Amino acid sequence: MQFDSIEEILDFAIGKEMEAHDMYMDIAGKVKRPGLEKTFLELAQMELGHKARLEQVKAGDLSGFAAGEVQNLKISDHLVDVKPHPNMDYQEALLFAMKAEQRAHDLYVDLARATSDPGLRELFKGLAKEELKHKLFFETEYDDVILEGN
Amino acid sequence: MTTTETLRRRVQLWFGPQHPGITGNMSVQAWLEGDTLTQGITHVGYLHRAFEKLMERRKFIQSFPIVCRICVPEPDTNEYLLAAALEELSGLDREVPEKALWIRTLVLEMSRLAAMLQVLGGHVGSMGLGVVPNWTYTLRDYVLDRFEELTGARVYHMYTVFGGVRRDLPEGFAERMETEVLAKIEAKLPVIDNAIFDSSVFRKRAIGVGVVPEEWADEMGISGPVVRAMGIPRDTRKDFPYLKYPELDFEVVTTTGSDIYARAWIRRQEIAQSVDLIRQILRRMPTEGPYCAKLPNMLTWTIPPGQTYVRAEASRGEMGYYVVTDGSDKMRRVHVRGPSYVHGVSLLERLIPGTNIADLSPLMVSLQTCPPEIER
Amino acid sequence: MSLKNTLAPFSAWMQAFSKPFTVPDEPGVRPGAPRYRGWHINDRETCIGCGTCAEICQNVAIDMVPVDEPTKGDSGLRPKVDYGRCCWCALCVDVCPSGSLAMSNEYVWVDHDGDAFRYTPGVDEKPWDGAELGWRKDEGFDIVDHERVPMGHLDPEERIHTWAEVVVGYTEEEARREAARCVECGLCVAACPAHMHIPDYIAAIRDGDDVRALNVIYDNNSMPEMCGKVCTRRCESVCSIGVNGDPLAIRWLKRYVTERFDDLKSVLDVDVERVGEGRKIAVIGGGPSGITVAYYLAIRGFEVTIHEALPQLGGATFFGIPKYRFPMPSLEKQIKLLEDAGVKIVTNHRVEGDELRRMLEENDAVFIGTGLMKPYRLGAEGEDLPGVVYALDLLRDKNIGREVEVGERVVVVGGGNVAIDAARVSRRLGAEVTIAYRRRIVDMPADDEEIEDAEAEGVEIIPQAIPLRVERTDDGRLDFVWGPAEMVPSDRGRPRPKLIEGVEHHMVVDRVIVAIGQSADHSWMPPDIAEKVADAKGWITVDHNGMTGHRGIFAGGDLVNDTADAISAIADGLRAVEGIQRFLGILPEREETEPEIPVITVR
Ligand SMILES: Cc1cc2nc3c(=O)[nH]c(=O)nc-3n(C[C@H](O)[C@H](O)[C@H](O)COP(=O)(O)OP(=O)(O)OC[C@H]3O[C@@H](n4cnc5c(N)ncnc54)[C@H](O)[C@@H]3O)c2cc1C
Ligand code: SF4
Ligand code: SF4
Repeated sequence: MQFDSIEEILDFAIGKEMEAHDMYMDIAGKVKRPGLEKTFLELAQMELGHKARLEQVKAGDLSGFAAGEVQNLKISDHLVDVKPHPNMDYQEALLFAMKAEQRAHDLYVDLARATSDPGLRELFKGLAKEELKHKLFFETEYDDVILEGN
Repeated sequence: MTTTETLRRRVQLWFGPQHPGITGNMSVQAWLEGDTLTQGITHVGYLHRAFEKLMERRKFIQSFPIVCRICVPEPDTNEYLLAAALEELSGLDREVPEKALWIRTLVLEMSRLAAMLQVLGGHVGSMGLGVVPNWTYTLRDYVLDRFEELTGARVYHMYTVFGGVRRDLPEGFAERMETEVLAKIEAKLPVIDNAIFDSSVFRKRAIGVGVVPEEWADEMGISGPVVRAMGIPRDTRKDFPYLKYPELDFEVVTTTGSDIYARAWIRRQEIAQSVDLIRQILRRMPTEGPYCAKLPNMLTWTIPPGQTYVRAEASRGEMGYYVVTDGSDKMRRVHVRGPSYVHGVSLLERLIPGTNIADLSPLMVSLQTCPPEIER
Repeated sequence: MSLKNTLAPFSAWMQAFSKPFTVPDEPGVRPGAPRYRGWHINDRETCIGCGTCAEICQNVAIDMVPVDEPTKGDSGLRPKVDYGRCCWCALCVDVCPSGSLAMSNEYVWVDHDGDAFRYTPGVDEKPWDGAELGWRKDEGFDIVDHERVPMGHLDPEERIHTWAEVVVGYTEEEARREAARCVECGLCVAACPAHMHIPDYIAAIRDGDDVRALNVIYDNNSMPEMCGKVCTRRCESVCSIGVNGDPLAIRWLKRYVTERFDDLKSVLDVDVERVGEGRKIAVIGGGPSGITVAYYLAIRGFEVTIHEALPQLGGATFFGIPKYRFPMPSLEKQIKLLEDAGVKIVTNHRVEGDELRRMLEENDAVFIGTGLMKPYRLGAEGEDLPGVVYALDLLRDKNIGREVEVGERVVVVGGGNVAIDAARVSRRLGAEVTIAYRRRIVDMPADDEEIEDAEAEGVEIIPQAIPLRVERTDDGRLDFVWGPAEMVPSDRGRPRPKLIEGVEHHMVVDRVIVAIGQSADHSWMPPDIAEKVADAKGWITVDHNGMTGHRGIFAGGDLVNDTADAISAIADGLRAVEGIQRFLGILPEREETEPEIPVITVR
């Protein structure tokens, strides 16, 4: 992947958030478990929030980026990915979301590594951190709800 | 005889109830011919708080703060006897630790000492020699200082409780007892002797006054200094030994004369005896070990049916508790037998006829009445 | 009379030259002795508002007054002392179970307002607050009994070779002695989800009146023998004498009474109006919540049918809890009472498809207490290998009498009661057992006593162990691979485990038993109804009547409350018992001030 400007990178990232949004909307329309549809609609809504944040960055306001270290609980790292299916339950929904955020994070880490421009690298790292934050949100929920007794 | 005639011949006098002498609130309704009393009827009830009935309606532990009130100058005998009775009936007596037995003995001697100092001052105070009570009351206050240190209170100690005592002996207690109390008492005793027993005023008013005939001793159940002043060596501490008294070295003090002087003299000797006993006790006081047995939950404690009479030597004489339990968490009956009933009511009324009005106060003090004990 | 005697009194004059006895008039007040019993002080934070001080005070000098909001284990009340009554005996201090109450050595206080002499120590500020000296509770003197009568257990060696009950139970003498420790503060009542009348039945046991005790117990618990054996005993955790000692063995006392009687019906004196005559109720799920609803409605005259998928009622207490904790005869006794009360019991009947809709039409109300039947998955690689099983399945198979086998070496993943049960059952099936738990031992949701019992039976617990994957070994066994975890702080809740990368441990086992948790399964409900009552996590939300978002459908138990234990299920059942009566107009609507879990009585 080749990017020429910060603008381009941000557009790419914004596009990714939109993709995620569309994907969650799609799953929401398919799941049967009561209440899970709402969960996915909320996830889609969250992606819109992320998109808005990136647009802010594009407009020159960097304050939207996650500051400081973001914790990585690494819960999803050793769990098996799931494919969305209509009979999904809450555990699977969380697994799916954690994995999706993990993938987005990994992508930006790769991009940061691949670029030689220090300015761009910083931006990619910032984006990776953003995704990590999203993952932490789901991992925390997983740790609290699914792994309450473990 | 018509009423008018009676009135002409006899003057009726109410003596008390505001502390006639230093006995506490009771009164004597007396009839006089000239300045000689012909008859006296005692009236008590001014301090009546129905202690016994209160206790029949309270859990055992709730009776514990009540009993000290049965004798203000010497509350500890009551505390010990209630504990001893209930311990015996519940079987807890086997578990009272060694140290508690010693502390209890200490407390009983301290309270005898405090009470006797008070009364000795009263002996002469009631004759108008106000200086001596100032001394003895101060000495008593020194004892109360130690009580305060040991029990957390000066007068109502609420300290001797089922199973032992409520708190351990404080660090350095023995030394303070020696320097702050015992040494001071011993230093003062010769001065007091001089002012009381060598005083012609006291001798004139005490020797041969208020004589109790020896035959009355058993008939009336007289005890304490009153009986020992007749030459009878009657002392619960020896006759029905309890706590650590059998292990202590002391002789029963007696004298003859059976008058106010003799009774004051007994008290004076027993003050010295108490000082000595307290020293013995403190020397032998265990330094280690618990001061109270492990107690069951005092809020639900029940005691199997039974009855007992326990006794101890108060400064006034034999004090006893008759307690009946019925398996519940309260006493079925508790009867407090204080020496004051015998001395302050029956004996006093018998001694009054023929007594000079001026001697009534000294006489009452010499019998050492504690009215709440009469009307418990 | 000699001259000496005449002069003697004058010797008193000599004393005029000695040091005066009297205390010179110093400014300030002579301080009380270090243990003087002066004005009270109280540590508002440590005080639990148990009122034991007020209870012991023979002068009734203490009133308990509301100061803070009540919380579990703290009534929010604080003692207010009336010095017009107090005799400074300090029994209140010596009895205070929390140790918060004390007396300062201050004793002088002048005020022309008599009412000032009633104050709430620690709340109304006083100059002696925080005084160093004064009467304090002392270790060597205790007027409440802080030592629990010990409970006998089968020897661990013996236990693992039998399915017999581990806990021996109190003898009559032991029970009476233990009951006598109660100070009757009642903090436990507030902490018990069902608000059982705990001090009342303990007092009855203490007084030797077991029949009364049993009747009090059945006021609001129709499965007390189960609770007497396995309850999570939230009551004991707030017991006031437990603050500085062993809490009352409330559970064991309940167990003692309930075990005394075989024929419950003949002992129970049920006296309630049959207000439900002619009304029909369907209960789905025969767990503790369903049983509670069925019993308390049936004795009120309702026609109740209970539908249970398994061959036996009891729910998780039947299929989950192992028999060495809750034996079958105990459960049968309680089911018999249900039958005696006239409940129609339909077992081996899983409600499915459109049945719920039909039941709604045919009944005045429906109660759902179907519990959490679907285990969470491990989520790691190798989960589908044969030999990886779920604790719920294993326990159920064992409890309904199927042949179960776990091999020689077992690892259980999880730290709750289910995990411990699976581990102890596996021990009894002859395996060496290890529990792998992601967090620290202190974080384990399992009951401390359960953990101790498991360890005594030889179960090894590895804390901070994160399962990474399961692999098949060449000889057909399983290689359980786990990594160590470090605990990292969290801004939301307890510390969380985080994998330390680069280290892998291997454990070759025959079974991996997954016991990390379970969720509700609503696939049996018509989807439109499910949508109305449940959320994504499977939780069902109910109102103060226990009614779900669907009119006429009530719910309770594990799928409603977040404590997921039997007594909470019973409490939910009680709420529904009242809620259903309100819904049907038999009882008036609930007042704002009434507690959500009703305090009910059947005598
Ligand atoms: C292994 C284990 C150990 C436990 N140990 C303890 C303990 O020591 N102490 C404690 O307090 N709690 C313990 N619990 C928890 C306690 O058992 C539960 O909190 C309690 O049983 C929940 O009751 P409930 O009413 O919600 O229903 P559950 O007990 O969960 O029962 C639900 C019932 O509904 C039935 N059901 C489900 N769907 C249908 C349907 N469609 N049609 C018909 N029937 C259906 C099920 O078969 C089941 O019998 C334990 C649980 C388990 C699993
Ligand atoms: S006994 Fe102690 S803890 Fe209980 S209310 Fe009184 S002061 Fe508070
Ligand atoms: S000191 Fe005694 S009388 Fe005073 S409040 Fe406490 S228990 Fe009651």
